Amino acid sequence: MAGVYDFVPAVALLPFLAFVVSLFAGEYMPKRGAEAGIIATAGSLALSVWTLLTVAGITGPATSFNENLYTWVAGGEGAVTLNFGILVDPLSALMLVIVSLIAFLVHVFSLGYMNDEGETGLPRYYAGLGLFSASMLAFVFSNNLLMAFMFFELVGLCSYLLIGFWFREAAPPSAAKKAFLVTRFGDYFFLIGVVGVFATFGTGLFAPVEGAETLASFPELAEEALAGSAEEAGVNTFGYDPGTWFTILGLLVLGGVVGKSAQFPLHTWLPDAMEGPTPVSALIHAATMVAAGVYLVARMYGFYALSPTALAVIALIGGFTALFAATMGVVKQELKQVLAYSTISQYGYMMLALGAGGYTAAVFHLTTHAVFKALLFLGAGSVIIAMHHEENMWTMGGLRDRMPVTYYTFLSGSLALAGIVPFAGFWSKDEVLFEALIHGLGSEGAIGTLLLVGYAMGLVAVFFTAFYTFRMVFLTFHGEPRTDTARDPEPVRWNVKGPLTVLGIGAATVGFINMVPVAEVTGREIDYLHKWLAHGDISVTTTEHYGELLHTFAGVDPAELGPVAPGAVSLVLALAGVGAAWKLYNVPDPEEHTDKLGGAKTVLMHNYYLDEFQVWLATGVTVPLARAADKFDQGVVDGVVNGISSVSLFGGSRFRRIQSGVVTNYATLMTLSLVLLLVVFVVAGGVV
Amino acid sequence: MSNPWIAIGALALVAVVIPVSMLTMSRLLRPSVPEQGKRAVYESGEVPTGDTRIRFNIQYYMVALLFVVFDIETVLIFPWTVIYRDAVANVGLARVLLPMLAFIGVLVVALAWAWRNGAVRWVRSPRTTAQRVDRKS
Amino acid sequence: MVVEIGGFAVADWVTLAPTLVLVAASLLVFLIDTVEPRPGSSSNAVLAAVTTVGSLLAFLVAGYLLVVGVGQERVTGPVSMFNGQLVVDGMSLFFVVIVGSVTALVALASYDYLAGEAYQAEYYALVLLAATGMSLMASANSLATAFVCLELSSLPSYALVAFYKDNRGSVEASLKYFLVGALSSSVLVYGISLVYAASGRLQFGAVAEQLGARPEFAGVLGVGVVMVLLGFAFKTASVPFHFWAPEAYEGAPAPVSAFLSSASKAAGFVLAFRLFLTAFPEVGGLAGGDPAVDWVVAVQVLAVVTMFVGNFAAATQEKVKRMLAYSSVGHAGYVLIGLAAISAPDSGFVLGASMMHLLVYGFMNTGAFLFVALAEQWGIGRTFQDFNGLSTQAPLACAAMTVFLFSLAGLPIGGGFISKLYLLAATAKAGTWLLGAALIVNSALSLYYYSRVVKAMWFEEPDGTVEIESYPTSLYAAVVIAAVATVVLLPAFGLLSPSAFNAASGLF
Repeated sequence: MAGVYDFVPAVALLPFLAFVVSLFAGEYMPKRGAEAGIIATAGSLALSVWTLLTVAGITGPATSFNENLYTWVAGGEGAVTLNFGILVDPLSALMLVIVSLIAFLVHVFSLGYMNDEGETGLPRYYAGLGLFSASMLAFVFSNNLLMAFMFFELVGLCSYLLIGFWFREAAPPSAAKKAFLVTRFGDYFFLIGVVGVFATFGTGLFAPVEGAETLASFPELAEEALAGSAEEAGVNTFGYDPGTWFTILGLLVLGGVVGKSAQFPLHTWLPDAMEGPTPVSALIHAATMVAAGVYLVARMYGFYALSPTALAVIALIGGFTALFAATMGVVKQELKQVLAYSTISQYGYMMLALGAGGYTAAVFHLTTHAVFKALLFLGAGSVIIAMHHEENMWTMGGLRDRMPVTYYTFLSGSLALAGIVPFAGFWSKDEVLFEALIHGLGSEGAIGTLLLVGYAMGLVAVFFTAFYTFRMVFLTFHGEPRTDTARDPEPVRWNVKGPLTVLGIGAATVGFINMVPVAEVTGREIDYLHKWLAHGDISVTTTEHYGELLHTFAGVDPAELGPVAPGAVSLVLALAGVGAAWKLYNVPDPEEHTDKLGGAKTVLMHNYYLDEFQVWLATGVTVPLARAADKFDQGVVDGVVNGISSVSLFGGSRFRRIQSGVVTNYATLMTLSLVLLLVVFVVAGGVV
Repeated sequence: MSNPWIAIGALALVAVVIPVSMLTMSRLLRPSVPEQGKRAVYESGEVPTGDTRIRFNIQYYMVALLFVVFDIETVLIFPWTVIYRDAVANVGLARVLLPMLAFIGVLVVALAWAWRNGAVRWVRSPRTTAQRVDRKS
Repeated sequence: MVVEIGGFAVADWVTLAPTLVLVAASLLVFLIDTVEPRPGSSSNAVLAAVTTVGSLLAFLVAGYLLVVGVGQERVTGPVSMFNGQLVVDGMSLFFVVIVGSVTALVALASYDYLAGEAYQAEYYALVLLAATGMSLMASANSLATAFVCLELSSLPSYALVAFYKDNRGSVEASLKYFLVGALSSSVLVYGISLVYAASGRLQFGAVAEQLGARPEFAGVLGVGVVMVLLGFAFKTASVPFHFWAPEAYEGAPAPVSAFLSSASKAAGFVLAFRLFLTAFPEVGGLAGGDPAVDWVVAVQVLAVVTMFVGNFAAATQEKVKRMLAYSSVGHAGYVLIGLAAISAPDSGFVLGASMMHLLVYGFMNTGAFLFVALAEQWGIGRTFQDFNGLSTQAPLACAAMTVFLFSLAGLPIGGGFISKLYLLAATAKAGTWLLGAALIVNSALSLYYYSRVVKAMWFEEPDGTVEIESYPTSLYAAVVIAAVATVVLLPAFGLLSPSAFNAASGLF
């Protein structure tokens, strides 16, 4: 039967086709390749929605899909077989829809942001967008770790290409390089982790493949190894205790996640990445690059759920990043910089949720964040068009009356980001914090305490988030225009307003898919996302299963606590943040109140000197090390290589000499060698 | 049993010693009368008319080669004719006649080719060619 | 006396059909030339067509016989005829496939290369006769036939190298080739006489039986075996009898170089394989026990030395054709691994790897020499510098050449990659690490000098003096066909290698 699952590869292939078409034929298209991208991502969106409906059981019985499609390297006995395959379960189906939706809207928006602004090199731009979408979509439906890793890297490459789109200017190439190198740094650990997983389990499958012979997935094998003995499960732990070894593997893979999802301490690339075109920023932040890291943790959650240490590390990194990035967002002066730090902070929340066992909450926040952050970036892009590519918020002000569509949609996104009821961000952020709290209270021992620490940091971050969000809104849209450009902004067209409207409505409503507090209070079963993720054809990727794993192996348990009170606490904090921003900045002529912070502002403006620290790490530690390695390489390795090559060439010229061109010499040499061989093999060989 | 290579070695020794000793002895005994006629090329009693190192016309080789080919052909055909009757009686006409016809056929093709390409046409020694060129110029 | 081919019972000599096709084609060429001894352009095309079609037919017939299983274990077993003087089995058919394909490519390319030259019929006839000799070498099963076949392929080769009889280089090369060949033949025939003295037999299998029964002539036999080995070293252009190769390949017309370095080498190898594995297995200790004459070690030494001499000398050449000539010597060293690592438990695999390498080599090396032929046609000179920037004028041919060179070096762009990989695996199976190390070192070195040509063609700036005026069709076609075959052999390797392994294991 040719069901929708046969077309799932096309979800990624269509944008890839767009990449090819834009690259080679983009110059000859009226919109320089945008058509291909828009049509392809629209097709992807349609297919993704169909997939989602199929998985949900609306078009028939609810199903999932996990098959190996192509054997890349066929391993023999005792060797690893590398496959390409597709895993479609509730999580990936949901993610496919999010990614293709955002990709589609970003393509449309790019018509306004890039084409209408008369940029050059557009085929390259649209080719990059196409490949970016394609690799992210393929990453989402990967059914094993190696395939995921390959597309993960491709995503990184595309971000490099797109951030550095304006390569003739000074800053973008440097930012692109930074993004690439910093994420690469994390990816090294990921790569080691991938190799480790394959060496340990002999498979990288996320979920078992049913067939004539059921292929087990590596989280399952790890579970068996922990429950019984490693030998029984056929798992090689290299002499470590299985628990310890799985934690090491998990943390190695986490290295890639921290790099891609811009978590502390590898978050430094993300603010610089704002040098890229704004639609690209929207794509990176909302749906592709940054989301890839968190998605990966969610994808192999069955593995992380086995290790309390890894969970605690994830939660702590997440909570700390959430707070840490939020404080830096407070002092930034440029619109996109604020948004960049908010992204880091929001992904911190997702990591906190994952670490705290709140898998559903993390996916929920990933979903809502994708919508409202894409909205905010596209809104920021609209403002930037209007302001003739001026990004400093202090030159804006009063744009509310001059661009109402942008203002109201941006406001919707901001309310969602700040976490004000009933916008999307409220529901998801509230659930993240709620999960962190109940699991922190319910778990025994150190992990409970650590989760509570994470919760506290997340809670404080709520205030800062609301504050910087509305500082941004007020500075941009309220008060009096502070420059001539702000007084007479350039109008934007439908292709900007359209995506904004779609996302603006989404940001206000998407939270309704999982209103846990309301469900609790009214007793009605409207927490759809919970149910969506709790069930599924592939039982080992459901939250029910994860709950058992968390309970059995990690010792993470929820406490009995209603969601209303914690929700109220975070709402109050958010409102306090909004109020503070209102007080300070919603005046006709706002001042730079941050100056009052004194030294603290300098520290914050310099991002806690982390960039400087990393530069020092690079120049102070790595460069001397590299010099030493270079010395070794130049002196010893190259010496040997050069020696060999000069010996070769010298030997070669000797061999040439033998070929003197005189036949009698040849005859002599031939006869002599014949005699030599005879002597060696006949006489000395003891034949005679 | 002693090593058989000793006998071979002795034979080799003898083979070298005898001619060397004969040459040495005759050199010691003979009178030495150098004379022009003794150093001339031996031409079966004819008076030599020049150096031995002259250029032969290439067509001598052509004829010689053709001769060798047909000589060997004869060598092969001869025993075949001798056993022809008995062979026909034993294995039948086809198996005896056809291979030989094929063999001769190949040679005929080759001869026809050589003929057409002028291998047996005796023309134009280098000297006559050179003279002809001289006359023209 | 009757064998079955694809369901039909036919006389056993029908299995020699590929060879007979070559003979018939050569006679046809003679006949055409008899009708019109001084050819105009029309009969040039006819001559080239007859040669190409004839060798292609031989290739196809041999391929068909190989596919239907003639002479192989699964159908009839080896077809032995003329009292065991000739044998047709998987191995012989496999090598006729190689010889036929190379001859067809060379004949196709020669049509343009020889345009306007005199003595074309002689050229094609000699090519076909040499090919006949080579295909018979694949079937030769006795020392006498082996020698006759070898000479049948050698004598036309000498004449072919001297085809440009007014060109000093061509004639000099031919004379050197002939003299070295004469010396080698004398060594070979003396070796054969000693083997005959020790065994009293000429037929390979009978030699093995007699030698097993009479070990007392080990001394004579040892001298004979080593001399025979070196006699074959001449034909395969292996050290120390390789001296003719660079001279002859450089002086000869490029299609002839292609023909000699691919087909002639393959023919020499098949004869060596058959002789050493059917006549001397016990002598070499392959059947267990102490070897009377340890020719396996001798071959190992020759293989390593050949690899090093060929590749190292190639690395310092300035002329592309001479570089290819030396690389051809180096490849002979690689193929010798088939005999040198024969003591491995899975000797069919080892020998099959060598056979597959020769098959791939037949296309990539022929192609490379034909590219040089193309360059000679264009008159652009012979050194690396002369190839500078050629890709701007002839991108297709340069792409093909790049495929050949990288495949020769063993990069995964053509079948040469897998065949080298198999050879490496063969050395690993036999535990002859020195051979494996030599293979790796020399492959790495070869990449250096092959890539010099690629660099010159694609990355260097053209001198701007040379204008390519014509694009000879048939030469181009031959180069492109060879390139396509080289590339296709990468994915299709797995399809063909089983027949090579089966054919190889038929010898044990």
